[in-house]
Amino acid sequence: MLKIKKENINTLLEELMKDYQVYAPVKNGSKAAFKVIENPDDIFTGHVKSEYSPKSVFFPQSEVLFEYSKEGVSIPEKKEKPYLLWGVRNCDTKSIRMLDKVFGNARQAPDKDMYKDPYWKQKYDTSIIFNFACNAPLTTCFCNWFGSGPFDESGSDIFVVETKDDLIFKGISEKGKELLKKLSVSEISDKKDEEAVSELKEKAVSMMPEVTDISALYEKLPKLWNEPIWQEISSKCVNCGACAFICPTCHCFDVSDEGKNGKGKRVRLWDSCMFPIFTMEASGHNPRGNSVDRVRQRVMHKFNYFKDNYGTHLCTGCGRCVVVCPVNLDIRDVIKDIINYELNKKVPADV
Amino acid sequence: MCNGYLPIQMRVDKVLTENPDKTLKTFELSFLKDNDRENFKYMPGQFCEFSITGKGESPFGIASSPTEKDILKFTVNRTGSVTKEIHYLRPGDIVGVRGPLGNWYPVGKFKGGDVVIIGGGFAFTTLRSLLVYMLEHRSDYGKITVIYGARNPDLFIYKEELEAWDKRNDLILHLTIDKAVEGWTKLCGFVPTVTKEVKLDPKSWAVVCGPPVMIKFTLPVLKEIGFNDGMVYTSLERRMKCGIGKCGRCGIGSKYVCIDGPVFSLEELKNIPEAF
Ligand SMILES: Cc1cc2nc3c(=O)[nH]c(=O)nc-3n(C[C@H](O)[C@H](O)[C@H](O)COP(=O)(O)OP(=O)(O)OC[C@H]3O[C@@H](n4cnc5c(N)ncnc54)[C@H](O)[C@@H]3O)c2cc1C
Ligand code: SF4
Ligand code: SF4
Ligand code: FES
Repeated sequence: MLKIKKENINTLLEELMKDYQVYAPVKNGSKAAFKVIENPDDIFTGHVKSEYSPKSVFFPQSEVLFEYSKEGVSIPEKKEKPYLLWGVRNCDTKSIRMLDKVFGNARQAPDKDMYKDPYWKQKYDTSIIFNFACNAPLTTCFCNWFGSGPFDESGSDIFVVETKDDLIFKGISEKGKELLKKLSVSEISDKKDEEAVSELKEKAVSMMPEVTDISALYEKLPKLWNEPIWQEISSKCVNCGACAFICPTCHCFDVSDEGKNGKGKRVRLWDSCMFPIFTMEASGHNPRGNSVDRVRQRVMHKFNYFKDNYGTHLCTGCGRCVVVCPVNLDIRDVIKDIINYELNKKVPADV
Repeated sequence: MCNGYLPIQMRVDKVLTENPDKTLKTFELSFLKDNDRENFKYMPGQFCEFSITGKGESPFGIASSPTEKDILKFTVNRTGSVTKEIHYLRPGDIVGVRGPLGNWYPVGKFKGGDVVIIGGGFAFTTLRSLLVYMLEHRSDYGKITVIYGARNPDLFIYKEELEAWDKRNDLILHLTIDKAVEGWTKLCGFVPTVTKEVKLDPKSWAVVCGPPVMIKFTLPVLKEIGFNDGMVYTSLERRMKCGIGKCGRCGIGSKYVCIDGPVFSLEELKNIPEAF
């Protein structure tokens, strides 16, 4: 492992900024979001997890697909350095890897490039993620339910632990190891550093909530399709979509043309399955016309459908939706309620 | 890098109004660029995103058959913002098309078997593609039976072709309308009822496309006759945007209609409560 002294971080970042477009948490009002940094001092380090996830780095809230005019269509030329993400927590690293399964690949026709998302790939394929360990997880964190944890290195390119005086670096992916070899400011870490890391890890792990065993979730969900549990869960939800917009793994979008007099842009915009219009068809028919259907869809997609297609749950336990929901609909409670739900139990007639 | 969001440009060659109310029009398009024409390889049942820049995109089944070289046909029901704009198109206009998208009717599996095509209203589009394709490869297939229903005689699409097909002796065509009207000499009654009455061989392949109610009542009839769920296909419709499995809009269970469909066998849809 390598380390650098904290006073050298800015030198390191300046070096990285020569070759990379560096994204890091930047404070924006009271909240932090991932933005390109012009200056290492812009980085906001005083918290565990940015309020907004780095999903927007690769999949912006609004993105131009192409420009059109009477002459035809053209893609705006972008000359950018490769992306480097600094200060990403493991839940967000994982979510980016999950989104790559959707955008970077073509599940039904892996060899067909037209089914791979060129806008995602252009940014993602050359990117590198500096995944920072979480020394002080928040009370809303529950990544350990998904087999992860505050010191999980998997998915990282470079894993970073912040000790009292240093940043300790560990190359995880080939790409990460290669980059570490090139850094000029680093020194080799010693036994004492490793002890410090273990200590921090132990402390962080002890701060995590008790693990809920979610192994039954996937198989149980389809059996609950017609059960009244969905009425119970969705009764509070106001279908505002905040949970989906804040979620690092939600990736639904709308496509819309913006312009006039035959000239403009086709853009994609984040969207959410929580909105009734999401599935509304021209005939007026709506396959998910009520809130119960839509809340069930969100849960089914995260904990059943995505696993069907990609082998993992579409949730990393980042806890952001728990924080933003205006009616305190807590995904952790939803998961527990589903797991504890007794099938075939008698329901009083008035429910 | 290949970009699945970019439409290719096509020229409108012909516009045919299909019904007196002018709500249904068929557009015949040709490719502007040679390499688009060469690269565009499709099968019956696939669809395209039809793009009117400034207004948006809408998915439509390809109504032409790959055996009709160098052109694409779409039949469009005027219903909302994009379809209204499409109806304004005149020969010579340039439009955008993305595709071919989705999967297709398994015409390879159908080979050597009898095939029953059941359609309703203007959903006959990809069924036309399928029928024209099979007639071009007529010796590959056994008995071909078509049941096609519309509310009234005006609402059939491809009326000239229906007449020509009716005269052929290598194809059985049952046309039906909901309620008798003057001058109509063919069948009367809803598609499910006709399906029950015309004595189909349950060992046939079947393809069913039409308005949701028609599908809902026809499928049980096929089951009753003894059709095998793995041999009955339908094409599903859902609101779409990207058409390439990214935007998440067209989900039914863990499938996306745009990439896993639109063609599904009943066997595949069995465990998806959202499908119908
Ligand atoms: C695979 C497939 C094949 C289809 N084939 C045909 C066909 O051959 N002929 C035909 O007339 N219609 C077909 N449709 C339905 C057609 O796509 C809609 O009627 C059309 O999109 C309505 O667009 P609009 O802008 O006029 O309506 P609006 O109500 O203004 O809809 C706005 C947008 O929402 C989306 N949308 C709305 N309704 C639908 C819908 N039912 N399906 C998909 N997207 C929708 C479209 O992007 C549309 O532009 C097909 C749909 C699918 C999914
Ligand atoms: S569902 Fe909630 S906890 Fe799970 S990844 Fe999304 S925002 Fe985080
Ligand atoms: S944030 Fe809460 S209220 Fe809003 S859609 Fe999500 S679960 Fe429903
Ligand atoms: S239309 Fe976008 S996923 Fe199917």
